[in-house]
Amino acid sequence: MTQQTGEKTSSRKFTESAGKIRTVVKRMYKQAQQAKEENRPIAYCMVMCNYEEILAAMDIVQVYTENYAGLCAVKRQAAVYMDKARAEGYSELLCGYAQVGIGFDAMRYELGEMPPDAPDGGMPEPDMLLGCSMGCDPRWKWYQALGRYKNTPIYNMDLLMPQSDANIDEIEEYSVRYMAEELRGLIAFLEEQTGGKMDYDRLMAIVRQVEETRWWWREAYELRKAIPCPMTTQDHFVLFVPHHMMLTDEFTLEFYKGLYDELKERVDNGIGAIDDEKYRLLWGVGIPPWHSMYILDYFLNFGAVFAAETAYMVPEPYDIPDRVDDPVEMIARRMFVRNSSLQRRGRAAGNVPALAMAHLERIEDFSLDGVVMHVTRSCRASTMGQIMVRNVIRDRYPNMPVMFLESDIVDVDTFSDTEAKNRIDTFMEMVEARKGSTK
Amino acid sequence: MTETAMWGMEGARLLYEHRGERARELAKQGREVIGYFCAYTPVEFLTALDLVPYRIHGGVGRPLEKVDEYLETIVCPYVRSAFDMALRGEYNFLSGVVIPHTCDAMHRLYDIWMYYIKPGYGHSITVPHMTHKASFEYFRNELATFRRSLERYAGRPIDNGRLREAIREHNRCRRLVRELYDLRKSQPPALSGTEAMWVLLNGTTIPVGEYNDLLESVIEEVRRRKPEPDDKPRLMFVGSEVDDASVIHHIEDCEANVVMDDLCTGSRHFWVDVDETKEPVEALAERYLGGRTCPCTYRSGIASERFGYLGEYARDWDIDGVLVYAIRFCDTYQLDAPEIQDYMQELKLPVLYLEDDYVKPALGQWRTRVEAFLETIEARKE
Repeated sequence: MTQQTGEKTSSRKFTESAGKIRTVVKRMYKQAQQAKEENRPIAYCMVMCNYEEILAAMDIVQVYTENYAGLCAVKRQAAVYMDKARAEGYSELLCGYAQVGIGFDAMRYELGEMPPDAPDGGMPEPDMLLGCSMGCDPRWKWYQALGRYKNTPIYNMDLLMPQSDANIDEIEEYSVRYMAEELRGLIAFLEEQTGGKMDYDRLMAIVRQVEETRWWWREAYELRKAIPCPMTTQDHFVLFVPHHMMLTDEFTLEFYKGLYDELKERVDNGIGAIDDEKYRLLWGVGIPPWHSMYILDYFLNFGAVFAAETAYMVPEPYDIPDRVDDPVEMIARRMFVRNSSLQRRGRAAGNVPALAMAHLERIEDFSLDGVVMHVTRSCRASTMGQIMVRNVIRDRYPNMPVMFLESDIVDVDTFSDTEAKNRIDTFMEMVEARKGSTK
Repeated sequence: MTETAMWGMEGARLLYEHRGERARELAKQGREVIGYFCAYTPVEFLTALDLVPYRIHGGVGRPLEKVDEYLETIVCPYVRSAFDMALRGEYNFLSGVVIPHTCDAMHRLYDIWMYYIKPGYGHSITVPHMTHKASFEYFRNELATFRRSLERYAGRPIDNGRLREAIREHNRCRRLVRELYDLRKSQPPALSGTEAMWVLLNGTTIPVGEYNDLLESVIEEVRRRKPEPDDKPRLMFVGSEVDDASVIHHIEDCEANVVMDDLCTGSRHFWVDVDETKEPVEALAERYLGGRTCPCTYRSGIASERFGYLGEYARDWDIDGVLVYAIRFCDTYQLDAPEIQDYMQELKLPVLYLEDDYVKPALGQWRTRVEAFLETIEARKE
């Protein structure tokens, strides 16, 4: 399939909340571009680095580069930037997000202005580049590569993801101490870059608001356990946007309260995403194919809804301890607790690898009938381990159908509509057969 | 194989040809052999406990048999190859495994290895990607956790005196390897790049004491050589993991001398000593985190600051051209490679980028490109 602009690539949405997101995204980039005109400090950022509250407290405008690459893919405008990155010597196998991001900035450098027709007006030129090590390697390597095109100050920091069998109690205190120091290093960097000073009371207030925001999103997410499921993954893969990219906004808090109200009403009235829900599926590990999200709608033809995901997950619950008055330590501790919770539960469940544990919990809690994982050619971090996860699932649920959809996060040339549909047909036959035999 | 005490270059070649045999022999004799990945694993702890550290290699050019059923095709082919060998039982002589979290592939591999292979001992060391002051403090704690984990497994403590002794032994090894590298500075070099790889790859598969003996015997032999003069171009090989001498051999077969490298199985593994005057765990943390040039450690600065050491190598080993080698699907190396090339060109050094599949290296295609590259170098010389 060749990459063309103007094709409909998006999926159906089932909630009013999800329907608002496109406008929200456009507004987000417009506000960032306006901030640039007003000379407010702008940072390139990676999602879920746990620095959102700190940046907000220092009035830094956040531009999320991975997600801009996703937006380019949704609009089928990623190829022009990937081609540019490859012409600059970057491998076609490099992380697709990084290819798009590097290509975008290389092009801007060459042109001396915003690349023409950049989706949503493009990312404004940043004043600082903020990477972190949680999630994958390109998240702390990509910005350094931009040094070929701009002399923008960088701060990279470590965020820890303990191994599945780590003795969490043994490593907790020194891990928290390290991450707190990394965050303090970030604050010092921001103060130096902006000439401002951190207001720690303001930071604590933002942290408390963020936890309230997350509480509402989590409560809304829990409503998807209902049968029929009030919304599907097609909605989820846009509903995460306010949380991941506008986390500290008052709007975001109100948005998830609104989402909760909407889903609650649907559940109370027995309204599902589709009228005749026959099968409930899990979108397992693997970032979705942003270039061809419409393919998710094909499952609806079988009466199948995605009732849960292990991608872009809602953060685990965290109770702010009364006695902690240092917001930086609090963020570090919260990060560690969240990043080690699956490990703790996996060990308790008989040394189940953390990645697999997330899947087992969802299957149980959301009454699921099958699992779909996306093998993404340019994203090793979200793909490596999928076969192991399938095998762990089958240790627990021997006949659970598991399907691998193959393409990429941004490169549409890796996607075949026909092949995807053939695989889905076969998979759904297995789901139907299993469900029939367990009735 | 015990009789490889003949050592010298022929002994090194034989040992290389039968890699793993000595470790298997030791395992049969009751020694515990612990497999490890990456140049970031502080093998001194293993040596101090009288465990045999064994660096896990893949098999360049060897068809994969089992791995597709267990590991995705789009991940690091070196990891896939090594894991395929484990699935085939070729690493059954290992009592345990240490896999540091250095890159995404290593991070995920640990869970996968533990789930399928189920070794008697497993540990993953989280290696910071940063080198802030706090990173060293964290890493020191992480190494202390590793030490306790090993002590629990072995059922005996690591004595600090024995740990210092292990550090001394490994430092001696590093010094000997650097001495060997010095013998590659002459034109022609006293040993070929292929021979150097035989020696280097052996070093991480046998006890350090034996390796030091091997190194001494090789150095003594090489010092006595009187190589015929030649004017072949002198190349530096820069890349990630190369654990097969054939890769270097194919380059040298095109009428070149590979005289220096920046590889995690080569100079990078041996270049920096552990400070013997400091508290041992602190010194190990400083050496293993601070002394690394692997792209999985973030080093700030512009290209000349980050890759300046390559310029020093080029000057000291009188390099005519540079080969930059990346294994497919390696994000960390692929993100650095263009800047390394920029920097080499800044130094007026011809540079050739090779991206490799590892399992099925495109040697024919390589040959054509390397020959063309060597012609460019010759033309510049003229």
